[in-house]
Amino acid sequence: MNKWTKLTLPLLQPVAAIIVGLLAGAIAIIIAGGDILETYAEMWKGAFGGMYFFTNTLSRATPIILIGLGAALAFRAGFFNLGAEGQMVFGALCAALVGLYMPGPGWLVCIAALLAGVIAGGLWSVMAGYFDSRFGVNLLISTLLLNYVAVLFAGYLVAYPLKDRSGSAAMAQSEMLDNSVWLPKLISGMPLHVGFVLAVLAALIIFVVLKRTVVGYEIRMLGGNPLFALFGGVKRGPMMIGAMFASGGLAGLGGAVEILGSQYRYIDGALSTADYAWTGIMAALLAGSNPIGTLIAAIFLAALQTGGMGVERNTEVPLEVGDIIQAVLILFISARFTYSFLKRRKENKSDGTAV
Amino acid sequence: MLLQMDSITKKYGEFSANRGIDFSLRAGEVHAIVGENGAGKTTLMRILYGMEQPTSGTIRLNGKEVSFASPLDAIQSGIGMVHQHFMLFPSFTIAENIVIGNEPGAGAVFDRKQAVKTVEELCEKFGMKVDPQAIVSSTAPGVQQRVEILKVLYQGADIIILDEPTGVLTPLEVQELLEAIKQLSKQGKSFILISHKLNEVLDVADRITVLRDGAVTGVVDKHATDAHEISRLMVGRELLELDRKPITPGDKVLEVTDLSLRGTKGKPVLDAVSLSVRAGEIVGVAGISGNGQSELLQLISGLAQPDGGRIAVAGKDVTGKAPRDIRESGLAHIPEDRYVWGANRTATVMDTGLMGHHRRLQKSGLLKLKDIRALVSGWVQKFSIKTGSLETSTQYLSGGNLQKLIVARELEQGTPFLIAAEPTRGVDIGAMETIHGELLKRREEGTGILLVSSELTEILKLSDRVLVMYEGRIAGELSAKEATEEKLGLLMAGGTLQ
Repeated sequence: MNKWTKLTLPLLQPVAAIIVGLLAGAIAIIIAGGDILETYAEMWKGAFGGMYFFTNTLSRATPIILIGLGAALAFRAGFFNLGAEGQMVFGALCAALVGLYMPGPGWLVCIAALLAGVIAGGLWSVMAGYFDSRFGVNLLISTLLLNYVAVLFAGYLVAYPLKDRSGSAAMAQSEMLDNSVWLPKLISGMPLHVGFVLAVLAALIIFVVLKRTVVGYEIRMLGGNPLFALFGGVKRGPMMIGAMFASGGLAGLGGAVEILGSQYRYIDGALSTADYAWTGIMAALLAGSNPIGTLIAAIFLAALQTGGMGVERNTEVPLEVGDIIQAVLILFISARFTYSFLKRRKENKSDGTAV
Repeated sequence: MLLQMDSITKKYGEFSANRGIDFSLRAGEVHAIVGENGAGKTTLMRILYGMEQPTSGTIRLNGKEVSFASPLDAIQSGIGMVHQHFMLFPSFTIAENIVIGNEPGAGAVFDRKQAVKTVEELCEKFGMKVDPQAIVSSTAPGVQQRVEILKVLYQGADIIILDEPTGVLTPLEVQELLEAIKQLSKQGKSFILISHKLNEVLDVADRITVLRDGAVTGVVDKHATDAHEISRLMVGRELLELDRKPITPGDKVLEVTDLSLRGTKGKPVLDAVSLSVRAGEIVGVAGISGNGQSELLQLISGLAQPDGGRIAVAGKDVTGKAPRDIRESGLAHIPEDRYVWGANRTATVMDTGLMGHHRRLQKSGLLKLKDIRALVSGWVQKFSIKTGSLETSTQYLSGGNLQKLIVARELEQGTPFLIAAEPTRGVDIGAMETIHGELLKRREEGTGILLVSSELTEILKLSDRVLVMYEGRIAGELSAKEATEEKLGLLMAGGTLQ
C-alpha cells in the first residue's frame, strides 16, 4: 500500500458518510418544501457565518469534544463506556454545587469546581468498572443504565432541596453562580470560553499519551487484543479503573465547563436535551477513537446542530434536517463497523500456514 | 504423461509467485512438491485446481490442452484437492459429507440409505475404513482426513492434490495416511503432495519437485536423493549442523509440583503434574495435542489459575500470580497460538514486537521510540522477517513471519526461563534453522527451556530430556539418548514401555 492511499483510505468512509448524509438531508429539504441550496447556505451561515456564529459553534462543541475524548479513550482500551451522559450530569452538578457553596476567591472556586466535575464524573464511571470486574455486570449495560440514575437524581436535587426559589419561574434549576467563578470568555462579547482551550489541550495530551507513553501503549494493546495484553503482562484491573476514571472524568469536565462557561447554573434537562453526551460518543465513533479526529468530528457535529438552528431561524425548513443528516451518518458509521467485523471473520477463516 | 504443466508464470503486480514452472505427473505416481514458505507451491496448485489463472503457460491433461476457470472445471476433469484445513460439515455424518454435491436420490428426496451404501462400497474399493454413519465432529483428525480423500474419490478424481495433509495428524495417523496413499497409487490414482516434512516426502513420493522463490530448483527421483540434498535445493545453501554441546544443568528455573486442573466433564485436565527445568537444559514435552499441554503452559505463565499444586519460577513461588509478576520473576513465553496470545493484529509490527519490552524501554513513562525502532528492525534483519515496514499492520504479516517476530521478541527478554510452544509452527526450513540455533544458544548461555512441540523431530533434535503427556499426566520421561520416535509414539498413544 503506498503512502497516499494509506493516508486517504481511513478518510474515505467518513467523507462518503458525510456526502450521503448531505444527500439524505437534501431529500428531506425537498419534502419540507425548501430550497436545497438556500437551506444549506443558511446552515453554513448558522454554523460558520461570522464571528459570533463561529464562536457559538465552537462553544457548543466544547463539551462534545471533552465527552468524545473520554469515550474515545475508553474505546481504545476496549471498554465500551456508554455512560457519558450520567458522568457529564454528575460532573456538571458537582461543579455547580462547588461553585455555589465553596467560599474563597472566584478563580480558586472555579478551578475547584472543574476538579469536582472531573472527580464526580470519574468516580461515577469507575463504579460501573468496579461492578464489571468484581461482579461481572456487563459494562455496556451498567454504564447505560446508570445514566438514568444520574439524570433523575440530579433532577430531583434541583427540583426540591436545591431549587432556586429567588426567581419567579417555576423551573427546576439551581441558583445562579456568582459571576466571579465563571470561566472567562476568550473573546469578549462572544460565547466562546476557556473551556474550549481545555478541550483542545486534552485532545493533544491524549494523542501524545496514546502514541508515546507506556500507559498509552498498554491501553492500545488492551483494546486491540486483551489476551495478548494479558499475556504480555498488562494488568486489566488497574487499567480498567484508570481508563474508566479518565473517561468519566473527561465527561464530567465536559459537564463542568458547560456549567461554568455557558449556563452558570444546573438546569434540569438542559444538558440532556442538547444531546452533548451522545453527540460526543458519536464523534468518537466517527473518528475511529482517534483523539484529533474526535476533536474535528465534534466541531463538525456541533456545526450541524448550530447550522440546523440557523436553518430554522431563517427558512421554513425545520431544525430536524440537521438531525436527519446526523442519523444517516450514524447508519453509515455502523456500516463501517459491520464491514470491518466481517473482514476480520473472513481473515480468521484463512488463518494458518498459507503458501 | 497424465498431466503436464509447462512454463507456468503467475504475476501479482510486480511480484512473480511462479516463474516458468514445468511440472509433470505420471499415472499412478506420487509426486511431491516441496519448498519454503512463499516458494510458490500453493499458487501452482491453485492454478491447477482452477482457483487462479496463470499469467502465462499451459496445462495439458492426457496431452490435450485444458484451462480451468473454476474448481468445478478441474473436478470434472478428474482433479481433486484436499485442503490444508478440512472443509467438512462437522455436524453431519461422514456419508453425508462425502456425497455432498452429487447426492443419490430421486428428485428432491435424499436417499440416505443409498448414500451409506455408496460410501461403504467406496471404502471397500479403495481399502480405506470409515464408519459412514458417524458424525464428523466426533471423529479423529485422521478419520476426517480420510473422509476428505474419499470425498475427492467419490467425485471421480484421478489426480488428488494433498496440501500439507499431515499437519494435524498424530504419528500413527500419519503412517496410516501414507499407507493409504501408497495403496491408492497402486490402484492407478496419482497424487500431488505438498509438504515441508521431508521424511514423509521421502517415504511416500516417487519424484520430488523442489521450488525456491517461484522457480524449480530441482526435480529428483526418490531413490537418487536424500533429505540433505532436498533441503539444500530448498534453501539454496548448505544447512548448518546443529550441535548440542554437553552442558551441566544448573539450578531449577522451573519447578512444578502436583499441578492440577479440573476439567468440565469431571475428568481432570491436569492430574498432579510435577516437572522441573534446570538452567542450561531443554526439556521437551511431547504429546498429542489436547492432552493437557496447552493448559500446563497457561498455568505456568499465569494466564489461568490451577486448582491445586505449586509453581516456582527461578526459585520464586509464583502460584496464583498475575502474568506480569511471573514475567518479572523470569519467564519469557513463545505462545502456542500466535494470533490469540502472541500478537495484536490491528497494531503495527513495531507495537506487536514491543510487548514485554515496553516497560524496559522507557524514560519516565515515555517510550524510547528510537531505541525501540532499532531493536525491532534488528530482529527484522536477523530473522529476515518479510514486512513492508515497521509501521505495517501486523495482520499483513504471513504466519511464518509473525512467528519469527514473536520468537525474536521472547528470546530477547533475556529471562532465565523460557517456554517455547510450537516455536517453529508454520515457518520454513531456513527460519527453523535460525530459531533452533537461537534456542540452543540460549541453552548454552544458561537459560532453561521448556519446549512443547507436536513435531517429534524437533523435540528429539533439541531436548536434553523428553516428557510425554497423556491424558493430563506425565506418562513417561526419557533422556535424550533413550528417546526415539517409536518409544515416544508409543507413550503418546497411551502405551507403556517394557
